[in-house]
Amino acid sequence: MKHVLLLLVICGTTPFLSGCWDRIEITDLAIVTAAAIDKKGNNQIELSVQVFIPSSISSGGGQGGSSQGGSGVTTMVRNEKGSNISDALSKLQSKLPRKVFWGHCKVFVFGEKLAKEGIQEQLDFLLRHPQPREKANVYVSKGEAKPILESLPPLENYSGEVLRELSDLHIGMLVTMQDLDEMLTGTPRAAALPIVKILPPAKGQTKLQGIPYIVGTAVFKKDKMTGTMTEKETRGLLWLRDEVESYTVTFQPKGVKGKISLSPVSAKVKIIPQIINDKWKLLVKISTDGAVIQNGTNLNLSNPKSLKAAERAYQKDIENRIRMAFLHIQHKKSDILGLGKDFYRKYPKQFNKVDNHWDEIFAEMEVEVDVVAHIRRQGYINKPAGLSENEVKDK
Amino acid sequence: MGGFSLIRNVGKLLRKTKEKKSLMQNDYLDSKPSDSLDVNFNQNVETLRSVYDNCSDVMFRSFLLFGKTRAMLIYIAGLSDIEAIEQYVLSPLMQESSKEPQPLNEFIEHKMPVPKVVKVNMLADCIESISSGNPILLYEGGSDGFSLGLSKWEKRAIEEPVAEGGVRGSREGFIESLEVNTSQLRRIIKSPALKIQSMKIGTLTRTNVSIAYIDGLADKTLIEEITTRLERIKIDGILESEYIEEMIEDNPFSPFPQIMSTERPDVACASLLEGRAVILVEGTPFTLIAPISFFSLIQSQEDYAQRFMAGTFIRWLRYFFMGLSLLLPSLYVAILTFHHEAVPTALLLSVAASRESVPFPAIVEALAMEITFEALREAGVRLPKQVGSAVSIVGALVIGQASVQAGLVSAPMVIVVAITGIASFMMPRYIAGIAFRMLRFPMMLLAGTLGLLGIMMGIIAIVIHLCSLRSFGVPYLAPLAPLKGKELKDVLWRAPWWMMDTRPRLSGDSNVYRQAPEQSPNPKRGSETE
Repeated sequence: MKHVLLLLVICGTTPFLSGCWDRIEITDLAIVTAAAIDKKGNNQIELSVQVFIPSSISSGGGQGGSSQGGSGVTTMVRNEKGSNISDALSKLQSKLPRKVFWGHCKVFVFGEKLAKEGIQEQLDFLLRHPQPREKANVYVSKGEAKPILESLPPLENYSGEVLRELSDLHIGMLVTMQDLDEMLTGTPRAAALPIVKILPPAKGQTKLQGIPYIVGTAVFKKDKMTGTMTEKETRGLLWLRDEVESYTVTFQPKGVKGKISLSPVSAKVKIIPQIINDKWKLLVKISTDGAVIQNGTNLNLSNPKSLKAAERAYQKDIENRIRMAFLHIQHKKSDILGLGKDFYRKYPKQFNKVDNHWDEIFAEMEVEVDVVAHIRRQGYINKPAGLSENEVKDK
Repeated sequence: MGGFSLIRNVGKLLRKTKEKKSLMQNDYLDSKPSDSLDVNFNQNVETLRSVYDNCSDVMFRSFLLFGKTRAMLIYIAGLSDIEAIEQYVLSPLMQESSKEPQPLNEFIEHKMPVPKVVKVNMLADCIESISSGNPILLYEGGSDGFSLGLSKWEKRAIEEPVAEGGVRGSREGFIESLEVNTSQLRRIIKSPALKIQSMKIGTLTRTNVSIAYIDGLADKTLIEEITTRLERIKIDGILESEYIEEMIEDNPFSPFPQIMSTERPDVACASLLEGRAVILVEGTPFTLIAPISFFSLIQSQEDYAQRFMAGTFIRWLRYFFMGLSLLLPSLYVAILTFHHEAVPTALLLSVAASRESVPFPAIVEALAMEITFEALREAGVRLPKQVGSAVSIVGALVIGQASVQAGLVSAPMVIVVAITGIASFMMPRYIAGIAFRMLRFPMMLLAGTLGLLGIMMGIIAIVIHLCSLRSFGVPYLAPLAPLKGKELKDVLWRAPWWMMDTRPRLSGDSNVYRQAPEQSPNPKRGSETE
């Protein structure tokens, strides 16, 4: 009996021997919600972190009705220069009374200048450190990155959340840290990141109440940014990457006035690499269904003939988008689609021969776009609204 | 003098002499067979008078049998039916006019209008009879006494069970009287296969204990084992069935009960029908059921009294909340102090915001709140009913509202404690809930020191312990470990009654089938036969 008790006491006290060595109370944490890295001067970077202020939304202790106490500022931004992130971070820590915690940082923004000079060195820290998540989204800012963090969005709690939500809408590219790492280490060694910019605040809002939004795509060759793509080109890129989600395609069918707007309901994208007679060629097969959102023409889309015409225009529009995007990245000589990988899988021998000058081959590659587009849904009404019977072209 | 030695022994026991062991060897039970009644009437009366010395509640009524023979009726006031004594014993026996029938003992045994007359010739049996309310009749010239079955005392009416309520099903509960309790069993199971064996335990209380089982369903060796374990008990008194439970358990150092207690006759009968044994103890409405498995503690009688889908749903809910009642506070503590990245950002931010003004570490906060809750619960049970509601209001206000507003406790912690508290009351057996409530505290300490790793260690330790437990030789986690696929029908879900073909196999293989197979209601089957 005595021995059992002794054993129990020993077992019972062992957990306390560890002294709770890595125990950190949540009130001792500076929860980083977004981070920005800028280039400053010669060989110096500036690390800015957006830190959540818990007491800003604290309801405990306050009997007051509004939980959004005070000015509604839920985050603060602290920044520090250093030769690299870890150096800057250790300096930054001395300015923060709480321990920096990266576990919930879901947004990393690289400044444009830094992006142009290379992000590999900084990326190493983010991937090596156990706390930052691989699922965090990565962005490039137009100009400096710090103001992105400093903006105080009126709708979301903090600007990092704004960016994350915008990315989830799939309007621009959505690149996580893991994606970025895969793109950079993979065969084509090219990457694409969404570009963000501050939307100026609306009338009546304070100066800082602008929000960051996605304006296009930054094209990286190796780890250096070489150019940008506009929003429209980005849409084409999204088609090629099979990431199309809700957005609107507006086009004008041949021979009629006005425009039709469609929203793609489903899209299947197949990218088929081909080598025909030593000629490298890319076949893009797309089959998509669209739903009519607005019909500004006088076409009655319930009529098969008019529908065909509209579908043809829809197909053309998609094809144009894709061609435009593809030409653009060919021009940049950066295979951000990872086509090299696709070719390697299908033609490993041929690819190995051209591996070191793949960029040139990519730049001269022919692309064939094969779009099968249908309009399946027309909404609640068939005929264009607000037009009398004889105005509707009903052939 | 047997009676004197008895008194001496009992006196010694009360004086708590150091020779406990030798005392217990010479106790009342052992003296039972040795002393028989004397042939001399006066001698017998004298002995009994000395036995019941200073017992003012014991009545010695001396009278003349048919006006001639001296006789003595001995009974305890309040334990015997005075009216019946007067009407059926004293008035016929005291008729002076009638001729004295011969022989007397023949007359008493066969011609007295009393439900039960037993001839006793042992002194100990006399005492036994008197103590249990049956008057003893002695008369001059007879070497035997007669025990008259006229016991009657005040008892509580059958009421709805307090600790095990339900919406549907029987509303009767056991009461303190053993006879009423066994009658309740007999009323449900009318077959003579229901056997009820009795014994007395407790040198001073002489508490009646009955073992009920169904012959042919319960394993014979099991009944023997229970009987031997019960006979082994040498104790001065049994006031509650828990005394017995702790004396006959397989593993006395486990937080988990290996014998189930219930105050519902329907639960007891359901157990009997599954081949288990029921131990009824006088003086408590709580009867014991053995052997049981862990899952018996989580099954409620109401699972079977409602549609099987509802029963299954409730049962799953119960499993889930059983886990919560054990783990929720420790998970909260572990995540808040070690694994901040394991919760969604929005949740962490709002928890962080609410904890901002709390001056204590999460583990201290959790322990303090849980202990306070347990205290409130205990106080709620203990307090007089009139004060109870006031205390619960104060408790809810002080703990729930004021402490959060004062910034001493975070609101999420109050929610966690409240959910845990409710969860532990979802267990249909109160004792099982208590086991989990107690284990919550070591789990919280583990979580506060080692995080999720500690919680895993705690769970592993508990599971190993549960696996090693036996209840009268039946594995505690059966039918899950060892796995018995067929019996999972009453563990993973509550199978509809027409699928409950077999009984749980506790030990023997006899009488496995409880009903005819394939009784699922099927309208088609009926039309075919027509």
